[in-house]
Amino acid sequence: MKPPVRPPQETDFTSPTHGPRVSARIGLWLGIAFGLCFATGLLSHGIQHPAAWFTWPSRPVNLYRITQGVHVTSGVAAIPLLLAKLWSVYPKLFGRPVVRSVPHALERGSIFVLIAASFFELLTGVFNVAQNYPWAFFFPTAHYAVAYVATGALLVHIAVKLPVIREALTRTTEEPKPATGALSRRGFLLTTGGAAGAAVLATVGGTVPWLRDVSVLGSRSATGVPVNRRAEAAGVSTADSTWRLRVGDAEFTLDELRAMPQTTAELPIACVEGWSASATWTGVRVADLLDRAGVPAGSAVRVDSLEKDGLYRSTTLPGTHTADPLTLLALRMDGATLTLDHGYPCRLIAPSRPGVLQTKWVSRLEVL
Amino acid sequence: MRWVIGALGIGLLGWGAVLLLPVALDNPFSLGGWLVGGPVLHDAVLAPAVGVGGVLIARVLPKPWRAPVGAGLVVSGILVVLAVPYLWRAYSGPVTPGLHDRPYLAGLLIALAVVWAVVVVSGLVAGRRRGNTPAAS
Repeated sequence: MKPPVRPPQETDFTSPTHGPRVSARIGLWLGIAFGLCFATGLLSHGIQHPAAWFTWPSRPVNLYRITQGVHVTSGVAAIPLLLAKLWSVYPKLFGRPVVRSVPHALERGSIFVLIAASFFELLTGVFNVAQNYPWAFFFPTAHYAVAYVATGALLVHIAVKLPVIREALTRTTEEPKPATGALSRRGFLLTTGGAAGAAVLATVGGTVPWLRDVSVLGSRSATGVPVNRRAEAAGVSTADSTWRLRVGDAEFTLDELRAMPQTTAELPIACVEGWSASATWTGVRVADLLDRAGVPAGSAVRVDSLEKDGLYRSTTLPGTHTADPLTLLALRMDGATLTLDHGYPCRLIAPSRPGVLQTKWVSRLEVL
Repeated sequence: MRWVIGALGIGLLGWGAVLLLPVALDNPFSLGGWLVGGPVLHDAVLAPAVGVGGVLIARVLPKPWRAPVGAGLVVSGILVVLAVPYLWRAYSGPVTPGLHDRPYLAGLLIALAVVWAVVVVSGLVAGRRRGNTPAAS
């Protein structure tokens, strides 16, 4: 005889992979991943849209490469952690009555907001890393705003659940429950950790050089310095002999730049989308150019590109970076003249700076 | 302590809502779809599939194989999710030299092959270990 068909109830879920002991542990890992994501995301936002009080150091040269690598990697790791966390509490979805009281309704509502915002951040994040935009809104604005929603809802959730979390994490003895599905409690936790590890391993080679071949789902190729925006897409063609670099009120021809003292440095391009690539750059120090043009050392400048439009045709280079002797207007990359796609005749390359702000096809440094 | 965390959370939530309002007014359906889509797809499709999968594994597979196969399915699912933005590129920008130009389908298949090789080895080891215990004889 077939049992009567009815919707599932909270008590139907007998697997030991549900419940506070699992939930609190995975929640702790997930909270750490979200915290890292939020903090490094705020840093990246601050560098690109600096408030008056905000300064970002130019050293160590890999600083932005690391913070943004952590941002994308902790987001990737959070995907299996979020799914495992939701599985651990899935029976609660079927708790009845749906709403017991006004506080209970608010709590359930806040959890819906938390889950919606969490999925939004992680999914739009991995799509954006692939430069794939199946939405109509502007990604940076939405991703930034929802980050506050997710973090706020997470803090509310932690505040509500703090006693449960504390009990679940400190209780040491509990009768072992047999696995009723595929996995025991321990097996579920190990699987979650394994899935997070596999997700990281499959993608982190986008920024960690020695994992480049292992990360089959990384955003960049195993070799070479990626080009984010081709000259053709930017509407830039090879500059002719009439090209001049304007620095303040002074002008330099390409031959004059080549005749100036050259500095060679290994510096990374570290993209906001999490990939990075080191190259050996040769060119003129921005500090030397400003000095020749009679501009006070440590002035902030606006860097203009030959690009006619585009979000990043003009960027601000703060004084911390113009004063750094490793901030270059590069004429050469890895021993050869810059290709047009990499920014010929010259491009900005500064230590610890988001890739989108490493302006290519530079035409002008305007003192701010 | 709880009240401090909660108040901070409500503050951040409110600030996020303020920042999000212009996006919501410009693109209500796209934003709304992406916000609501995650929980709905998870609760109505993904989690039930996981539950049914777990029950099936427990009914069909011999005990030593249950945990390896369950874990293998979880890891495989995550890898497939991470591959989707590279394999379905209807809304992507142009592929540029050195970016997004890996052989993603081949890479995914290799990663899945590695995962399932580990599953098979784990299942065989668990089966042999079980076979050696006196209780099983």
